[in-house]
Amino acid sequence: MSDTTATAAPPSDERLAYRGVFQRLFIRPEIGAMIGAVGIWVFFWAVSIPFGTANGASGILDTASILGIMAVAVSVLMVGGEFDLSSGANTGAMGMLVILLSKEAGEFGGAGLTLWVAVPLSLVVALGIGFFNGWMVERTKLPSFIVTLGTFFVLRGAKLGFSKLIVDQIQVGDIRDAHGYDFWYAIFASEWDRTTHQLEARDAIYTVAVLGGIALIVLALYEMQFERRRDAMKSAGMIEFAIGLGVTVAGIVTLHVTDDIAGNVLGAAIIAVGSLVGLHGYATWRFEPIHDRGSLVLAPDVLRLIGIGVGSLVLAYLAAIIWDSDNADNFFFPFTYQGFRATLMMVFGGAGFTVLAVAANRARRDGHLARSAIGLLMGLLTAVVAFVVRAQSESVKFRAEAFSVLLAIALMIVVWAVLGSLFEERIRTNARADKLGGRLIAGGLVMIAIGMFFKLMFTIQAEIDADIAPAKFSMRNFWFIVFTVVMVWVLGNTRFGSWTFAVGGNKEAARQVGVPAARTKTQLFMLVSGAAWLVGMLLAFRLNTIQANTGNGLEFDYIIAAVVGGTLLTGGYGTALGGAIGALIVAMGTLGIPFARWNSDWRFLFLGVILLLAVVANRSIRTRAESLRR
Amino acid sequence: MRKLRTTVAAIAALSLVAAACGGDDDDDVASDDEPAAADEPAADDEPAADDEPAGEEPAGDDEEPVDTTQGGDLTFHMITHSDDGPFWSVVKRGMDAACEDLGVNCVWAGSNNDPGVQVQLIDTAIAEGVDGIASSLPSPDQLVGPLQGAVEQGIPVITLNSGVNQYQEIGAITHVGQTEFIAGQGAGERFNDLGATKVFCGRQEESNVALEERCDGLADTFNGEVISEFVGLDADQTAQQNTIAAAMQADPDIDGFMGTGPVIAVSGLNAANDLGLDLAGIGGFDITPEIITAIEAGDIAFTVDQQQYVQGYMPILLLYLNVTNLNTVGGGQPILTGPGFVTPENAAEVAALVDAGTR
Amino acid sequence: MAESHLLELDDISKYYGNIIALKGVSTSVNAGEVTCVLGDNGAGKSTFIKTLAGVHQQSEGTIRMNGEEVTFDSPRDALDHGIATVYQDLAMVPLMSVWRNFFLGAEPTKGFGPFTWIDKAKAKQIAKDEMAKMGIDIRDTEQPVGTLSGGERQSVAIARAGYFGAKVLILDEPTSALGVKQSGVVLKRIVEARNAGLAVIFITHNPRHAYPVGNRFLILNRGHSMGSFAKHEISIDELTQLMAGGAELQALEHELEAAGTISHDDLTTPD
Repeated sequence: MSDTTATAAPPSDERLAYRGVFQRLFIRPEIGAMIGAVGIWVFFWAVSIPFGTANGASGILDTASILGIMAVAVSVLMVGGEFDLSSGANTGAMGMLVILLSKEAGEFGGAGLTLWVAVPLSLVVALGIGFFNGWMVERTKLPSFIVTLGTFFVLRGAKLGFSKLIVDQIQVGDIRDAHGYDFWYAIFASEWDRTTHQLEARDAIYTVAVLGGIALIVLALYEMQFERRRDAMKSAGMIEFAIGLGVTVAGIVTLHVTDDIAGNVLGAAIIAVGSLVGLHGYATWRFEPIHDRGSLVLAPDVLRLIGIGVGSLVLAYLAAIIWDSDNADNFFFPFTYQGFRATLMMVFGGAGFTVLAVAANRARRDGHLARSAIGLLMGLLTAVVAFVVRAQSESVKFRAEAFSVLLAIALMIVVWAVLGSLFEERIRTNARADKLGGRLIAGGLVMIAIGMFFKLMFTIQAEIDADIAPAKFSMRNFWFIVFTVVMVWVLGNTRFGSWTFAVGGNKEAARQVGVPAARTKTQLFMLVSGAAWLVGMLLAFRLNTIQANTGNGLEFDYIIAAVVGGTLLTGGYGTALGGAIGALIVAMGTLGIPFARWNSDWRFLFLGVILLLAVVANRSIRTRAESLRR
Repeated sequence: MRKLRTTVAAIAALSLVAAACGGDDDDDVASDDEPAAADEPAADDEPAADDEPAGEEPAGDDEEPVDTTQGGDLTFHMITHSDDGPFWSVVKRGMDAACEDLGVNCVWAGSNNDPGVQVQLIDTAIAEGVDGIASSLPSPDQLVGPLQGAVEQGIPVITLNSGVNQYQEIGAITHVGQTEFIAGQGAGERFNDLGATKVFCGRQEESNVALEERCDGLADTFNGEVISEFVGLDADQTAQQNTIAAAMQADPDIDGFMGTGPVIAVSGLNAANDLGLDLAGIGGFDITPEIITAIEAGDIAFTVDQQQYVQGYMPILLLYLNVTNLNTVGGGQPILTGPGFVTPENAAEVAALVDAGTR
Repeated sequence: MAESHLLELDDISKYYGNIIALKGVSTSVNAGEVTCVLGDNGAGKSTFIKTLAGVHQQSEGTIRMNGEEVTFDSPRDALDHGIATVYQDLAMVPLMSVWRNFFLGAEPTKGFGPFTWIDKAKAKQIAKDEMAKMGIDIRDTEQPVGTLSGGERQSVAIARAGYFGAKVLILDEPTSALGVKQSGVVLKRIVEARNAGLAVIFITHNPRHAYPVGNRFLILNRGHSMGSFAKHEISIDELTQLMAGGAELQALEHELEAAGTISHDDLTTPD
């Protein structure tokens, strides 16, 4: 911390400790889940061959969609401080209802309605069930746990009873025969077959979008990390930034057009120089240069941490060379040699880098130079790891993909470390810079999502020639995304959203200031019921037949996904996006195990561990966040 | 309020005492609402009402007296853990048909999976001095004793559906049913014929011994490799299907899929279709309209059928032969009602029979 | 009592079953004045507030605003009549941000038809400005209320009430949980609100906090009114004695009825 900032900065509330950029990002409820999701993805990507393919993604998304729509709705309900144990059974009940309503009138019924009536009518019934739940909870003041447990049993019994009464089976089927099927099928279940949609420009779009997105996020982090120039912006920096950007692009193009090793090395070198120059230019343009760098002195505790970190990385390396990479045999439960090796490498590698990051953070008090030195060390070690991975792996995905990603990360760390010793870190809030940073991050994420979208939705000739597994995406994915986006917006931007947080956080207080608490809670139950209706439709049109037990017991999966996504069991805290990410995590955990060819008998153990980790992580993140805010 | 409840409880208790002591009112004994009375394993002690055979049929929840022929002076009780679901209603139709064909009186008594109720139903049958008892044995610990009591009384007993390991201990004539293991073995042979080399046996429940045995039987006769895994509940078909797809994707050697139920078999079919895989064969267990349709279309190779109609028909026939002609069929071995297979060849006929309620 | 009173209570009683929570309480409050309601624990202060705030209705008696008889069916109803209550537990949601708490229940929206959303920029700006008027610089209105100090939270609540056009501001024990300095800050807010033309009803059990800011004093004891006095009619010592006398009496009764003795000094927790 330099003295100049302290004197120059306007007086601020001294009790409000400043939070660094990463700390600020970490207090978002869903961030823990997001990191977890990436971690689990990388893990299964490493241990399973088909997991990372478009086919794997379609399976995960499909499972996550059905789960996620409910998890998002349940997250919102839990933010409002309530539970709905009938939500799982309700999905099956709605699917069954729409089939029964549209079935030809038989001996006992089956209303024989057109789907144009049956679909909206079942929605009305769903909202009625939600209203009933809410009304009962508000009227009786009983815990929603009890009330909805009752509704759960009612629905469960009604499903079995009616299906046996009407069709004498434990399943009702053939929505296909109903009037208006084609239209509603298109709405709820039509599929997009990737193999029949060819787009040769796909990879170019993907590359540009993802790299552009990453660049935006990097700039966002810089905006949120460094102190803006106190005098005018320095336009010379802008020119340097432009040059660096051009050089980087040139490097990427070089990488693309060359195929030999020498060309690749050249391209990588150009990219490295270009990024360093460009980001240095950006920083010179906008940020305050540093005046006192401190001296390069490493305290004993920092040195010890560095030792532990490096030692851990060495262990990861030992794990890599002890077991041969091509040994796919079973080792011991539940691993193959390959999987065990990958697990050890990830655990030790992750631990090593975490310890080094802690060391860098500690070193900050000794001066910028000390921290930058550790940063450089981390960057170099990352590069070393990249080359080790390349040398020790047989499969292309490690030799090429993991290698390049690790090198790119190494580059980013090095640049970060260098700039950290040249420019002043911000130690007070700057709403404008944070707002710009937030928008850049959002823009970057959208760009990455667009890139992913093209990569997943289209195929290219080379893939067709290689005869890779087909992948289908359906309206279920669409509804999942739409529902999540709408609920994120509703929760953050509407009165209903605000009141949801209020009734979950402090119902009495909300009531006292005029929030219609009972109405809000009833609407929340109706929201969950409405979501159950949507899932019921998705299931009915997909499966054509609904079992009497469809959805029973899944309400706990929804709650698990919501909790993994950072929603507090006690209400008042959480996000809709967290529920969606939680659903992705649960889906990845469920499918990752068979993808890795571990016995899926173990999957609940895995889910349990994820849940425990998530709860502990969320709790520590939240307490950290709360303490930092004070 | 509290007072009222106490009164009701007192009346209930009184009526229980009356039923236990006197046995003067058969209706009360058979009305199996009181678990306190039903839980009593009344295996060895003779009911007081033994010497006074009741003229009327017990009128429990699930009992329907079937007076088929006025001339028949034989009465058989079929006492099962029936829940009156689709499976058991077929068994009951089998029993009805046998009783009509033979001209005997039959009583269908289902306990809805409550062993205590079933014990009471058996005791009632013994007390009435019926000519034969056919009983399922879902929970041997409670049921072996009462059935042994029946045998000691000279009442012929046949076990059905479940109880293959206990019927000899009871002294029953034979057992009519299907063992899951043997059914699985039959499926294994089918997969051999289909030319599969590695079969994935997917289970829809985590800890159901019957489903495990189906996969074990498959592994016993199948020449190739068998993987047996829990792949997700029927309640969540989305995850079930995607889990199967993931396993098939990760292990391209898998060229056969067997689901230990009808729903999971269809999930396996959907998974294979989504992946564009052409498996050597897909097999399932039990019958739903959905799986019959898939078999008719040739998408699923077969489903293993318990042929539970026979489980209702056969015990009555065997009891009749035993009582009238002292025949003992089976040679001490159980009589297997399966495995029967529904294949594309017979699917249409089976579908018609399913509609008729006998398959 | 003259016609000109902004809010006038006449012989208010409240029974919970056979329990008399409040019996025959009368007082009044005018714009630009502070009426202090003093009483020890169990004196009926909470019942008094809840009646005025519309949480429940009085069993007997009438409430008049500007001479017109009114009844408050709900907190919302009372708010619509311009009666804003700042509760001791602050009626705030600790995990929610300052601006959301500030506007809770009355968020400014934009949009059309059924599609309305909160005008966040406006809400944040107003919250910040209103807080600045009270002399508190909230740098980041996204900060959760739970991280503010007790005095700051009271200030948010008072600022909120003032912004939403309250004519009568009821403050329930605003100083009871605060330190000396923070209490001073809150008393200053009360004076500011009074000077801004609000009628303030200040509930407290501390005569030293009440006397400097109050124009009128209502003393409650065990649900009964011990009298309503204008400032010139009573000195701080008399005020204290009235309260203390009641408390001693109460303690004595307790002593006679049960074994334990309750000293009035111990009774710092609110009723």
